[in-house]
Amino acid sequence: MKKFEYMILLIFIVIGLSACAESDSDGKTEITFWHMSPVGSEGFREMRAIINTFNESQDDIVVLGTGFSFWDYWDKINIAISSRTAPDLGFHTIDNMVVRAEAGVLHNLSELIMSDLSDQNIALDQFRQSQLDFLTYNSDLYALPLTATTRVLYYNLDMFESMGYDIDDVPTNWDELHEMARVFDIIDDGDIVRLGFDPTYGNATYHGWLWQTGEDFFDEDLNPTLTTQTHEDVLEWIVNFNDIYTRNQLQSFGEANQLLGINVFAAEKVAMIVDSDGLYRVIEDAGATFNYGVAPIPLPDENGIRVNWGSGFSIELYNNQKDEDSKKMASFEFLKYLMSYETQIEFADATGWLTSHIQAMDDYTDDKPILRQILNEVDYAVDKVFVPYAPSWHAADWQTFYTQALDRSLTPLQALEAAKAFYLEKKENFEATRS
Amino acid sequence: MKQKTIGELKKSENRMGYLFAGPWILGIIFFGAFPFLASLYLSFTNYNMLSTPTFIGFTNYRILFFNDSIFWDSLSNTVYHVVIAVPLGIILGVLIALLLNNKVRGMSIYRTMFYLPNVVSIVALSLLWLWLFQPSLGLINEILDPLYKLLGIEPLRWHQAEETSKITLIFMGLWTVGGSMIIYLAQMQDIPNSLYESAEMDGAGWFKKTLYITLPLMTPSIFFNFIIGIIGSFQVFTLAYIVTGGGPSRSTYYYAYYLFDKMINDQNMGMASAMAWILLLIVLIITVGGLKLNKYVIYLGEES
Repeated sequence: MKKFEYMILLIFIVIGLSACAESDSDGKTEITFWHMSPVGSEGFREMRAIINTFNESQDDIVVLGTGFSFWDYWDKINIAISSRTAPDLGFHTIDNMVVRAEAGVLHNLSELIMSDLSDQNIALDQFRQSQLDFLTYNSDLYALPLTATTRVLYYNLDMFESMGYDIDDVPTNWDELHEMARVFDIIDDGDIVRLGFDPTYGNATYHGWLWQTGEDFFDEDLNPTLTTQTHEDVLEWIVNFNDIYTRNQLQSFGEANQLLGINVFAAEKVAMIVDSDGLYRVIEDAGATFNYGVAPIPLPDENGIRVNWGSGFSIELYNNQKDEDSKKMASFEFLKYLMSYETQIEFADATGWLTSHIQAMDDYTDDKPILRQILNEVDYAVDKVFVPYAPSWHAADWQTFYTQALDRSLTPLQALEAAKAFYLEKKENFEATRS
Repeated sequence: MKQKTIGELKKSENRMGYLFAGPWILGIIFFGAFPFLASLYLSFTNYNMLSTPTFIGFTNYRILFFNDSIFWDSLSNTVYHVVIAVPLGIILGVLIALLLNNKVRGMSIYRTMFYLPNVVSIVALSLLWLWLFQPSLGLINEILDPLYKLLGIEPLRWHQAEETSKITLIFMGLWTVGGSMIIYLAQMQDIPNSLYESAEMDGAGWFKKTLYITLPLMTPSIFFNFIIGIIGSFQVFTLAYIVTGGGPSRSTYYYAYYLFDKMINDQNMGMASAMAWILLLIVLIITVGGLKLNKYVIYLGEES
């Protein structure tokens, strides 16, 4: 009997020890990399090829890539970072990098770049300063910009031409946009079959429209501005844009498309839409055969500011406080590879996202006129400010009030006042936990 | 070979017992007790899940109770859900169990059909309901269309309208009532036939037998489902997360949803932990209160 007990104990010990075993395989330093091209996704094979190419070129390093879908990725990476089990390299969002740098969970990239004397070192002059500024903490870089997201107006050229219009008629200001949108609407028995444009569809955001007026959501002290006349005017314009239809009609149209899992522009359900560079790939993948074009997002008037919300992904080296210098250096080698001219092009090809490398994207879009036009808008892209007391200020926090205004359960002013009170309460509570 | 004494055998058996229970004991300590106690500590801290937690006393609790309007809104939404969903679930569960407690051909198929939704992913169920309740394309409004026309009213917008969103989610939740139905059914089948036979000899019909025999003898399982239902309903989250996103106008923004947002969106684990403990206390008080009622509502037979 004793033998049996010892046997079981031995099994436990062996299993336990094997879990703690050094992760190096074949004497190589193993590093983990999390990305957003999971098995079965469009870009999986290309992403695997990028990783394999690097692995084949290395004698001492092996990269283990793991892909998660965009929707699963964020919870997983955030939990992994907080539990100090983050991958050696991973994506995150550019705008809130400072929180992670401050918490000491990121490796200082400036130190690594400065101490690297190789020819393959990262050429920082190939990345936009506006993005690098967001990734700087205490004068040092703690992440690099992987993608350069931008938003533009997509328009269906075939629909334009069928109505006797051409590229010159693409709206450039809000009045023209409103006027032109009506031309493409199709209603059948009270149901919307096709919509010219809706300022809430795609990747159009309230703060995006607002920025074009020169106003911001927050002031310099991060207090919400919200109740100014400009805010009210912008929200009023959005709410009233399609006011010839009931909210029920609009919601049914939107939800029916959502339930069917179709992109309204790719499915030719709308004539124009504001969306990110990602829609270019969606249209391609959908096998759409119609002709379309892109243009800068229409401005409020001649005094409007050409700006769009330019969010993007950062790439970061996570410091799990395990004092593993070899992993850090190996991760940096892989980072250099990812940020190189060639890989940035391959990455754009794999994911459909515009990457941050200026020269690489310039060359990559050379024979892609629509994508080139989208790339032009990156220079007018601005990321949203990070608000520590409301990290989701533009999403979950604002959405309730925005929807209430769109539903007309609150007037634009009431919605803005309620939102302002909400943000101020949040700020007060945030400060109370830090005093 | 030396014979083992009783004491030695006992010791050896105990060792084996602990050895086999070891993984579960370790699991309870590391994955149960430790997070449980850690969350209590975290509820008194400011913790963004990245930096070291800093102790701030009762500040999180004070803010939640006295300076957080959403906290009370989410709690009242949840209480509404509990008050309607739990009794409705019990009534429907008992009714279905009564129906399925008959000797009809193919009864096991019916029972399986009612239980089936419990083994389907709640995400898949939510999407299914989303289709069914869709105001302009959904099957439910299509069926109700003649009624709307008769009454001269606009079709209901179900989960899309503030006035009907909560009750719509409750209706959707009733889909899984088959889980409690199985428990009721099991207890119904435990009731001795002799009681029904005596009642029949006294002239009792189906209604009286149900009222005076079946239902009183089912009170332990009804009470069990009542307690479990309350605990589960206070944690309502998934349906709202998928179907309504907490809207419209935060009408389905339940307590657990707010807790989730505090942690994921606001990165405020300290506050989220405080909310978890407040929820635990609420549920604990209601459960203890419920258990006190035990002796008044549960029929334990004449001898007790």
